[in-house]
Amino acid sequence: MHTTNSLKSWSRKWFGNRMPVGREIKLSQKSTYIWPTRTGYLIIFVLFLMLVGATNYQNNLAFMLTFLLVGIGLVSIIFTFKNLQGIIFTALPVDEVFVGQVVKIPVSLSSAQKRSHFTIGVGENDKSCQYTDVSEHQFSQLQVEFSAKKRGHFVLPRLMATSEFPFGWLRTWAYFRFDIPVIIYPLPEEPEPQAYLNSGHQTDEGESVPGSEDLSGLAVYQPGDSLSKVDWKAFARERGMFVREFSNYQSKDYCFNWHDFVGVTDELRLSYLTHLVLEAAKQCVSYSLVLPGKTIGFQSGYSHRQNCLRSLALYGLNEENGLSKKHELDKKNTVNPVEAS
Amino acid sequence: MRSVSAEALKNRPLPLIPIIVAQQCVLLPLYFYIPVWIALLNTLVAGVVIYSTKNKRFKVARWLKFVITVLAIVGVYLVFNKISGKDAGISLIAAMYGLKTLETDKTRDANLLLSLSFFILTAGFLFSSSPLIVLYQIVPILAILNAFVTIHSLNTQAVFKKSFVQVLKESGRYLFAGLPIMGILFVFFPRLDGPLWRMPGVSQSASGISDRMSPGEISDLQLSDKVAFRARFDKKEPSSIDLYWRVLTLNEYDGLYWFHTDFSEEAIDSKVVQKNNAGEIKDKKLATYSYQVVLEPTRLNYLVSLDKPVKMPSMGKIKQDYTTQVDYRLMNRTRYHGESIPGLKIEPELSVEQKLRYTQLPSGNPKSRQLATILRLEALNDEAYINQLLSQINQEPYFYTLRPPIMEEDIVDSFWFDKKKGFCEHYAGALVFLARAANIPARVVIGYQGGEKNPLSDSWLVRYSDAHAWTEIWFASKGWIRIDPTAAIANHRIEKSLLNEYRQRDLLFDSLEAIDIEEPGFIKNMSYWADSLSHNWNDWVLDFNSKKQFDLFKKLGISGLNDKQIIMLMLGLVTIFLIILSFKKFRFAVKKESEISQGFRLIQKKIEKQARLKVTGCEGPLQLKQKLIALNDPQHNNLIRVLDEYIRLRYQEKEAELKSINLFLKKTRRIK
Repeated sequence: MHTTNSLKSWSRKWFGNRMPVGREIKLSQKSTYIWPTRTGYLIIFVLFLMLVGATNYQNNLAFMLTFLLVGIGLVSIIFTFKNLQGIIFTALPVDEVFVGQVVKIPVSLSSAQKRSHFTIGVGENDKSCQYTDVSEHQFSQLQVEFSAKKRGHFVLPRLMATSEFPFGWLRTWAYFRFDIPVIIYPLPEEPEPQAYLNSGHQTDEGESVPGSEDLSGLAVYQPGDSLSKVDWKAFARERGMFVREFSNYQSKDYCFNWHDFVGVTDELRLSYLTHLVLEAAKQCVSYSLVLPGKTIGFQSGYSHRQNCLRSLALYGLNEENGLSKKHELDKKNTVNPVEAS
Repeated sequence: MRSVSAEALKNRPLPLIPIIVAQQCVLLPLYFYIPVWIALLNTLVAGVVIYSTKNKRFKVARWLKFVITVLAIVGVYLVFNKISGKDAGISLIAAMYGLKTLETDKTRDANLLLSLSFFILTAGFLFSSSPLIVLYQIVPILAILNAFVTIHSLNTQAVFKKSFVQVLKESGRYLFAGLPIMGILFVFFPRLDGPLWRMPGVSQSASGISDRMSPGEISDLQLSDKVAFRARFDKKEPSSIDLYWRVLTLNEYDGLYWFHTDFSEEAIDSKVVQKNNAGEIKDKKLATYSYQVVLEPTRLNYLVSLDKPVKMPSMGKIKQDYTTQVDYRLMNRTRYHGESIPGLKIEPELSVEQKLRYTQLPSGNPKSRQLATILRLEALNDEAYINQLLSQINQEPYFYTLRPPIMEEDIVDSFWFDKKKGFCEHYAGALVFLARAANIPARVVIGYQGGEKNPLSDSWLVRYSDAHAWTEIWFASKGWIRIDPTAAIANHRIEKSLLNEYRQRDLLFDSLEAIDIEEPGFIKNMSYWADSLSHNWNDWVLDFNSKKQFDLFKKLGISGLNDKQIIMLMLGLVTIFLIILSFKKFRFAVKKESEISQGFRLIQKKIEKQARLKVTGCEGPLQLKQKLIALNDPQHNNLIRVLDEYIRLRYQEKEAELKSINLFLKKTRRIK
């Protein structure tokens, strides 16, 4: 058991050293492997039989046929190998993922040398690969999926690019790792009403029912106004486009505080807070987030939302800085595809 | 482009049509050698499988597949009475291989089926080794490779729709790349001298003359156009009169068959013979002919030699009757050198015992015996008697025919007195009988007579149709003298159809020489060419054995290497080839791009020439077009048109098709 483990770690190390890492990856010959498949072994066996038969019958034509097939088999090593070479694998931006969902990493494949590649598979292992062809000038796309089990930085597992084209006698494969920042956010969970009430802290004027929207009036719609505030009823009656203005919009901001939830685990707290942040962002209100040791001030908008979610995802994980450094380092190792083509 | 998961790839329906096409291509040459019902069964199965791909609901029940399989095995057993051996074995394999398609619905099955296809391809070589079959075998190889590629392609739909030429190009690419390795391995792979083991009951397809003569046996042969052997004379060639190729002598007669019995096991020492005859050879200036023979498998243990051999390869012993025997039956094509002196006097002395043997006859044929006694009494000597018989054949209505009437019980009597129609065996047999009846030692010689000279390869082609039987009669102090009674038949009594069909036999009959002079026509030339190709094919491919390999190494100056070193050299060469191939850029795809730009360069040149415009490299096609328009000359319209085409292909089309590129290039070139 021990030896297999050490062998595994040794092989990981070995593959790891030769494995290209980055956002855009072009496989190098050094990191590409090739080995016969089951059909390949079958062909070798059949060729052996043919060779024995040819020797026995001293039949030169049988020799010729056998040798021709040996030749085709040998050159298919090159054809199979070259089929995987010269492809640029690019990881495309990943959608938001929350714990329990599936991380879908779109991968774009293109040919660096403008040739066609056939039946290229990308996946975690050969059984979960997605296959596609890469044509000379077009991009092909496939999706690699992982399940998001834990919040925080998602370190993409080692990926495998593989192909058995043209004959399926040989399988060539290469390992690589996409080094793209993927953050898995906590699973959003609606807080129980009690907790929900507590969370609706308003900053200045005591308590008020959260979400109470005292309509103060309508203003003429200006480009840039949130669409969710448009008075659609009025618009439907063809009275023009108005935006509803809320009296407490500016002053009554939400503050989502870690300490508002009592008697729940940290993870659940994070789930509640995530839910609240998402809801608030949906309603385009200004909100702040208070976490132990970190406070994000009142703001609204997409980047604020991302900032909050990120803080929630990484709460207590302390890896915020480590990755970016590594990312910088790896960038040097990857070939720039623009230069290569 | 959509992606497909590994699971979906594994479970998708197989592209059965390319697989079945490959399978039928593999089976096609075998269909000529295995029972017809297996061929029909296999094509039927292929049809059913193709039908079931179109109609998804149609399925062959499991029990039915089982029953068909059992029936096929039983059928093979009933036909051959066994299921082992070459013919039965291959029939069985072919049947099972054909039925396997019924059980092919997973990628795994298809891989197995296609891998086995390569093995079954070799079976075809057990039946035929002509260059044609080798040429044909390229087709199934391409088909199998295509099927493999189709299975491992994603968009099989596109593969289905691929044109025939595309399939050829794609699969041919792999085949061509494999050829050099084939050459290297073929030359350098160590060959063994003998087989690893012998298969029991392997029947070699061989025919030719056999070691006994029954009426009709040789004439059956004469219907066959198959090549018996090829011979090439080293220097001078004998005249057509001496072109008698000796195989064996028949010295005993049982009333029906002539056959060979060994009177003496002793072989003669050719050196001694030559020494003894040295004086005579010198006096009479007897010509010695040396030649090379490539003998097709005969299943006899006799070699063919020009009458009469004095020097044969060491494996063959020249017997007392000047036939050459080897220790084993010739199952393979054999090549050897020989030397012969047609005019050699053989066995001028016969012992009493030998004389007795060569005059033995079974009872029967009383009329012939009577005739022999009377004529011999009338004749001056033995030779005069024989001449008398020959002139009788010539003068009286004796016919040469390949369709002789059925002879009565006393064959010789019936032939000589009644029917007077027959072929060489009848004449030879009758003459020897009549000679023996007059107490003159005589024997039948069988072999080949004449042959066809191939002016291209300078070799003689002797076919089964040249098989012949003649006689040797012993005269005191002269020895055995060749006498060919068939040659004595008057020409007009030789069947017309025979003359037309077997012109090479014309050499026998003096007055028909005119046909010989005939210029070789186109078809004749083609067949000569095919024959010389076949000769080289035999020389360099079929007969390439350990000895030839050694000779070749000697020529290459590497004969000093041992087997291990040769293998290292072979692997080294293969590796070098693979390295070269892997460095070679695969330019198949890049070609398109470069071809378009090549077209642009062509246009630039044409513009310079036709419109007398100075074209600098930095001007784009649009600028050039504007310049041309500015000239306002209708002459340049065609130039503008190709420029437009170029712009469209290069910049507007995402993926220009090769076809339109070629069209564009063609148009461009046509502009003067």
